[in-house]
Amino acid sequence: MKTPVSVLRLPRGPDPNSRGFDPSSPRFIALCPTSVPSSSSSSSDEEEQRLRAELRESFLRTLLLMTGKRVRFDMHEHVRVHARFGASDIDVLNLQVSDLETPLGVQREALLRCQDVIACSFEV
Amino acid sequence: MLQWSSRSPRHWHEFVNHEVCVTAGDQQRFEGRVFTVDPVSASVVLVSVQENECPSVRVILGHAVTDVQILRRGTEETERQMKSVFLPDRAQSLSAEELKSRRESVRLWLEKNRVPVTEDGEVLCVANALTISAPYRPGDCSSANEIILSRIQSLVESIPGAEQPSGQTHQ
Repeated sequence: MKTPVSVLRLPRGPDPNSRGFDPSSPRFIALCPTSVPSSSSSSSDEEEQRLRAELRESFLRTLLLMTGKRVRFDMHEHVRVHARFGASDIDVLNLQVSDLETPLGVQREALLRCQDVIACSFEV
Repeated sequence: MLQWSSRSPRHWHEFVNHEVCVTAGDQQRFEGRVFTVDPVSASVVLVSVQENECPSVRVILGHAVTDVQILRRGTEETERQMKSVFLPDRAQSLSAEELKSRRESVRLWLEKNRVPVTEDGEVLCVANALTISAPYRPGDCSSANEIILSRIQSLVESIPGAEQPSGQTHQ
């Protein structure tokens, strides 16, 4: 299963001046939260911001730890694939991976949609 | 009962450091200790609690989470153990003297490279845009400007003569 698969269709390249993922695509607009839900009482805003920042920082550290490692992706219908994790976008909508092992062969570079992924696991 | 992804950060924070069982979309169950919950995607990061194995981490995407139940509460010890998996090794304990001389050498090196730097207690401030905190490694640079950050990081990395501790991470 290690034979690399030749690229059948090149995806449209990212806009060179942006983050890399099209912010005006209907999928991004549908999935990306435009407003962040927050608790009603305004006096505890600062506390909520602090918690939010703390949680996000820990999550970014998790992503940092995951970079370059061989990760197992559990997807719908009990599909399991392995790949080397590259990066995630800021809203965690897409995951960039390398050497994705699929039944068709090994995809050198691939983009996984987060809506398709249920969980990713890796060893530290 | 609100959906997991619509909950508040305060609610998510309640689960951090506790052992939980997460139920995902198609009746899959994942157990582990919660390290964090991403406020943007509501994804849960679980760390395995087995003693003898090397720790494994599992990220369950927020959209798939249907239920989270606490199995066992964590302690300060478990929190410390968990964090040691993720945070870079800051245990390099330098004495105040060593810190001071290191800060001095980094400051002189920056000045030599014509970088405007001032000392603000234990922190070095560069051009009002970047700060370097102890122990003044490339990974300790903090800035909102990417270009300045990468320039100063490579400068600090290339400082001649100083010992570089291993296991640095880029911010």
